[in-house]
Amino acid sequence: MQNPAISEHTEALTIDAVAHCTEFASARARQAGFAAARVDEVELVVEEVVANICHYSYGDRLGNVELACRLIHGSMLELEFVDAGQPFDMLSMPEPDLAVDIDRRGLGGVGVPMMRALVDRASYRRDGERNVLCLAFQSACRLGGSSQVA
Amino acid sequence: MESKVQTCANVVIVQVEGRVDHSTAPAFGSVLLPHIEGCVGDDKKLIVDLSKVNYMSSAGLRVLMIAAKGCRKQEGKVVLAGLQPSVREVFKIGRFDMVLDTYPTVRDALAAISPAAAAIYIDR
Repeated sequence: MQNPAISEHTEALTIDAVAHCTEFASARARQAGFAAARVDEVELVVEEVVANICHYSYGDRLGNVELACRLIHGSMLELEFVDAGQPFDMLSMPEPDLAVDIDRRGLGGVGVPMMRALVDRASYRRDGERNVLCLAFQSACRLGGSSQVA
Repeated sequence: MESKVQTCANVVIVQVEGRVDHSTAPAFGSVLLPHIEGCVGDDKKLIVDLSKVNYMSSAGLRVLMIAAKGCRKQEGKVVLAGLQPSVREVFKIGRFDMVLDTYPTVRDALAAISPAAAAIYIDR
């Protein structure tokens, strides 16, 4: 019999949302039995997503970021990020060309490929005035392999 | 995150320890970026020793990109040493292998960029 879904929720203002949400998700991943390397991968993604929400959705203005964690099917960690900023779909951001000369690269652009490399399932929807991004992580590490998000 | 700086002949070695994430990246930048100044030709070269860094997010990569671009602009040299497997994977995702040269150890990096420094370097 499958374990019932366990759901927990946190929220933070953008000024400390990255650290707060990362710690929250990291603790849930550890509770779910994820190996330390996979917990790091979850943290990398959460840090990236929340930093992008703060920057793109809220335009670096003060806002609220909610994060709900659910353990589904006993082993998959599902993270749902909700914010009330302007419409922002991180999943539709264009893949940057990172294979160019350093002079033609920007300072960032790593976040989207990192998320795609580390997440097992991803979806976005605009729900009224809110952005809802849902990411799911299997317990198996993704780094070191060539798998990509479905 | 902790750091220490060592000078060996014409090479400055910046060693970082711990996590380089959203909260510690500004401190990483404060330690590393001032050393870009004067990093020109053979006068001064820079090694970033990441052998004790077990986590680096894109915020840390951003600092390294600033350093790489700064050095490139003034024809200076900055290289990395001792990447842990998890950090190396993040580098691969970000294609930082095309941005910075990496070496297994500080000694290897020294041998590649400054044999004079390698000759007097003492592992600590």
